[in-house]
Amino acid sequence: MLTITDLTITYPNGHPAVQDVGFTVGAGEIVALAGETGSGKSTIAKALLGLLPTGSTVTGSARLDDLELAGRTGHDWYGVRGRRIGIVPQGAMTGLNPVRRIGDQLTESVRVHTQASRAAATARAVDLLDQVRLPANTIDAYPHQLSGGQRQRVAIALALAGEPQLVVADEPTTGLDLVTQNHILDLLADLRTKDVGLLLISHDLPALRGVADRIAVMYAGTLVESGPARGAAHHPYTRGLLAAMPSLEQDTPWVSIPGTAPARADLGAGCPFAPRCPWVTASCHTQRPVPAPVGNATVACHHPSDDRPLLFPPAPTSGGGVGSRQAVGPVATLTGVGHVYRSRHRQTVALAGVDLHLWPGEILGVVGESGSGKSTLAQILLGLLRPSAGRVEVAGNDLSLLRGRRLRAIRHQLGFVAQDPYSALHPAMTVAQLVAEPLRIAGTPRHLHAARVTRALELAGLPADLIGRRPDQLSGGQRQRVAIARALAGDPVLLIADEATSMLDVSTRAGIAATLRHLAESTGLAVLFITHDLGEAVQSCDRMVVLHEGVPVQQGGPQDIVGSPRPGYPADLVAAARRYLGAPAVTGSGD
Amino acid sequence: MTVASRPAPARIGLARAALGRAGGYVAVFAVALTITFLLPRALPGGPLRTLGGGEVGDLDPAARAKVVAAYGLDQPLHVQFGRYLRDLIRLDLGESFNGGRPVVEAIREALPWTLLLVGTSVLLTAAVGVLLGVIAGLRRGRGKGNLLLAGVLLFDAAPAFWVGMLCILFFGVHLGVLPTFGVTTAGHTGLAAVGDVASHLVLPVGVLVATGIGQFFLVTRFSVASALHAPHVEHAHARGIPHRRVVARHLLRPALLPVHTQLMMELGWLVGGALVVETVFAYPGLGRLTFDAIQGRDYPTMQGTFLTLTVTVLVMNALADLTYPLLDPRIRARGRS
Amino acid sequence: MRAGRAAGWAGAFLLAALAAVAVVGPWLLGTDGRERVARPYEPPSAERWLGADDLGRDLFDQLVIGARGSLGIALLVALAATAAAALVGGVAGLAPPWAAATLMRIVDLVLALPFLPLLILAAAFLGPGLGVRAAVVAALVWAGPARLVRAGVLAAWSRGHLQAARAMGASAGYLLLRHASPVVAPLLVPVFVRTAMTAIVLDASLAFLGLGDPTIPSWGTMIHWASVRGAMLSDAWLWWALPPGTAIVVTVTALALVGVATEDRLNPTLRKDR
Repeated sequence: MLTITDLTITYPNGHPAVQDVGFTVGAGEIVALAGETGSGKSTIAKALLGLLPTGSTVTGSARLDDLELAGRTGHDWYGVRGRRIGIVPQGAMTGLNPVRRIGDQLTESVRVHTQASRAAATARAVDLLDQVRLPANTIDAYPHQLSGGQRQRVAIALALAGEPQLVVADEPTTGLDLVTQNHILDLLADLRTKDVGLLLISHDLPALRGVADRIAVMYAGTLVESGPARGAAHHPYTRGLLAAMPSLEQDTPWVSIPGTAPARADLGAGCPFAPRCPWVTASCHTQRPVPAPVGNATVACHHPSDDRPLLFPPAPTSGGGVGSRQAVGPVATLTGVGHVYRSRHRQTVALAGVDLHLWPGEILGVVGESGSGKSTLAQILLGLLRPSAGRVEVAGNDLSLLRGRRLRAIRHQLGFVAQDPYSALHPAMTVAQLVAEPLRIAGTPRHLHAARVTRALELAGLPADLIGRRPDQLSGGQRQRVAIARALAGDPVLLIADEATSMLDVSTRAGIAATLRHLAESTGLAVLFITHDLGEAVQSCDRMVVLHEGVPVQQGGPQDIVGSPRPGYPADLVAAARRYLGAPAVTGSGD
Repeated sequence: MTVASRPAPARIGLARAALGRAGGYVAVFAVALTITFLLPRALPGGPLRTLGGGEVGDLDPAARAKVVAAYGLDQPLHVQFGRYLRDLIRLDLGESFNGGRPVVEAIREALPWTLLLVGTSVLLTAAVGVLLGVIAGLRRGRGKGNLLLAGVLLFDAAPAFWVGMLCILFFGVHLGVLPTFGVTTAGHTGLAAVGDVASHLVLPVGVLVATGIGQFFLVTRFSVASALHAPHVEHAHARGIPHRRVVARHLLRPALLPVHTQLMMELGWLVGGALVVETVFAYPGLGRLTFDAIQGRDYPTMQGTFLTLTVTVLVMNALADLTYPLLDPRIRARGRS
Repeated sequence: MRAGRAAGWAGAFLLAALAAVAVVGPWLLGTDGRERVARPYEPPSAERWLGADDLGRDLFDQLVIGARGSLGIALLVALAATAAAALVGGVAGLAPPWAAATLMRIVDLVLALPFLPLLILAAAFLGPGLGVRAAVVAALVWAGPARLVRAGVLAAWSRGHLQAARAMGASAGYLLLRHASPVVAPLLVPVFVRTAMTAIVLDASLAFLGLGDPTIPSWGTMIHWASVRGAMLSDAWLWWALPPGTAIVVTVTALALVGVATEDRLNPTLRKDR
């Protein structure tokens, strides 16, 4: 039905965002397009709907039955968008018109595409809501009255309004918690009929494997592998990506692919993955591999293999428990800590009854979905928020007794790494200035700065030659390492990492975790590792706390929690994570 | 599914927000009351000094006694304030120092003219300013959009009194097609009288519109240009909604929300701000009454007009606050902070 | 975008030229514009470019000297109002909620007062001195911008890098200086420009109403006398009322061009446009 051949898309800046890509989507088929940030997958979605920025050029062909999509301009797209191809755009949840009712927006799409009468369109709108399993009264709701998952369902209903042959869903589950993600993917799978094809675009390879019939994997603008979703992976990048997903089993190694994806301008004649590939040979650098059939799949690699060892560096996992506990005593202790947010209209319990000890050299994981009180916990430990109940002791000081300057002095002994590496670094400061900032704030003598900065960069795994760069000249992973280096510069006793990996590409996450592990073991640093990803916590932590609606519902070693979760939320969480990761992936192991 | 049950708490939030706002209005009103009360008592050269244009000593004892009695100046301050409030509740604003006419009567006569002038001007200004602003916003950075921007900035820069003078010169003196002062010419009845009033309105309204569209234009242009790439606008394009429809139904309505606030602010502002234009065109409105009162040190009239102006601004603000949630469902739910 | 920047530069150039006239002009003329140097109502001539007013004072001299008054009040008001807006808005953005609420109530209050009548009242009673006029105008125009600054501070507060510095134990002063002010300071440029524009037009309006300083020539006063002394009834308006009005329009437009250019550049949602 949709046949893409030799598709090349060039942005106005002259660099190809997508190069010689070809794949098909059949009627009634779900095809997944997977890849990391900047791989070009969203560019393909935009090209299919004519939404590329003006000045972009598209060569090759993308045919939907008899309809050629490449080379259309302006008004040619009417009758295609929405009518033949429906889209669930990236960030659709935030992309509904805020001041019009859901019903208005649905009937508008129905009427624009089908010339239905007003009454018929309303009936159809209710019908569409039913298809995405929303009640009929959603029609009178405004977007802000719906949850993220509900809004995503509305976006899917909108994509279906014109009865299109093909639905393109761009990152439909990003930003939703795991349980809701699974619901949305189920819904998309159920919407498949024998006439409608679905192109599912996501960075989340394991999630795609659960619903798609076939998967195409992109890297740096090229298609590296496509084949049946449940078949074996052959390309080293695909295999690396799968192995980079943290498993719930601690003995399954968790790897990261070293390096970062090349900028389009740096692409040479060879294989784009060659600089990061463990199987690289001389011909890889000079010759671009051509897609060729390997088993059921098509692979663009000179050395495809589904069983050759990968040799990517795995993140070290702990043996559990650290010897120095009794000798030194805890770095921080929370006793009966609770917090209630009060506004004029309501009270929200953010935390209740938290008892925790943080030991030197130990990584303590805090797992929970958004709104579970994870970040509130971090704020309380930093003394940025006074808990409404309980006692917090950090480095031997009761925080409730401290004010002003003395409270701020406590923060000089703590390191904090925030979720978003893009906003957390001041855009006008250089790496050297950024890393030295805590020293300047703490009043450390100036002549000590340079040495401390160099050491912190080294501990965070950053090359020293980045020292003069500004944040916009760094990749996401590098930025997060700068944030870690900054947190380490003041020689903290405790490092608090609040979702520090969640905005990074999958292939680099394990590297960050490895760095934290190394720090804990070599310097005796205590780490509070906050995450929503159970697998990641299992892989990187010595001990875990599961938070749900502010209450610590289970505490223990990773294997205890995964092996015997308490009924209720922990059990649901473990089940959802198992489903998400699917049956143990068919990959080569990392050893 | 909680969709169905949402509207009820939304309404409570709205009521609560309105209540909070009301407290604010009461506070502003109280301050305005105090200012108007202190006006004749605190200004350098109070009523005792300036009445009759001379110094205190020059005032003959009888006149002086009259003023002291009129303001109760021989009483302690709190007694004076109590009396002032009591009179106010009875809508007794005293009598003008110039001619002894009750101030309430003068205001009652002037206010409708000002409301007519300002109401017409603001509606026209908003209509023209928004229309041009939308055009310029959609074409931002292109030839036509820039030209429009330059033209509007030029008019916005011109002082109203100067434009008014030039208009009188051209339309009144040279062309002789339009009346240039007052609100009526004697001798018209019925429909002709309406036409007469309308023809008197043309020039002052024209000047206020020409020199006033700038704010509406800029607010609209900025808001529309910002909304061009809003996610829901791009989403609507991606769904295949025709361009014109996207602009009309998805881009403009959210983008024009700030214009509503601007409209209400302008209404409140112009009630006093039309003063200059009223003076130029000898238009017997509230602004001119205020100006003449200040010039003639006519304290009772000054107090009356200031109070009226403040109340008008407050009423406009309240209207803006009350009607805004009708336009923006998000505010309806949250209440305003 | 490019046209916008060109217009901004054109505005800046015009302002610089006007400022030069205001600073050097009166000194070059060697007069304060108050001497009778010609016949009353003398029409323009090669020697006396704009003729003379009803008292025989040179109108061209008055026009040049008027630039000083207009730009002077614009500068004074803009400085004072921007400083007040930055101070009140900044404090309201950082202060504890109750204090911020109180401050914003005061701002609401100032915004709800009948602006122009109060201004006229103050001008009528406090006298026409430059400093007094500037103070009164500034006292009335700072409130709107203060809201803007507060919004900017609140936006800066939510930025990740400021919160990160806070987590490092930075003091309020450090946060304000290193992290908030680079975000907020650019907002002050349009505020400065807009208050300057308002000041020029308001001051001219006061002078037109006869509340200006009679001892110093200004554009508004020129128009006032042109109107009062019947210049509008003859051709005299051409050299008596038209030039000062045009001067006001040019000055305010120049400011507006600079203001719009900076505002467009500062709006991140417009930047990806073209």
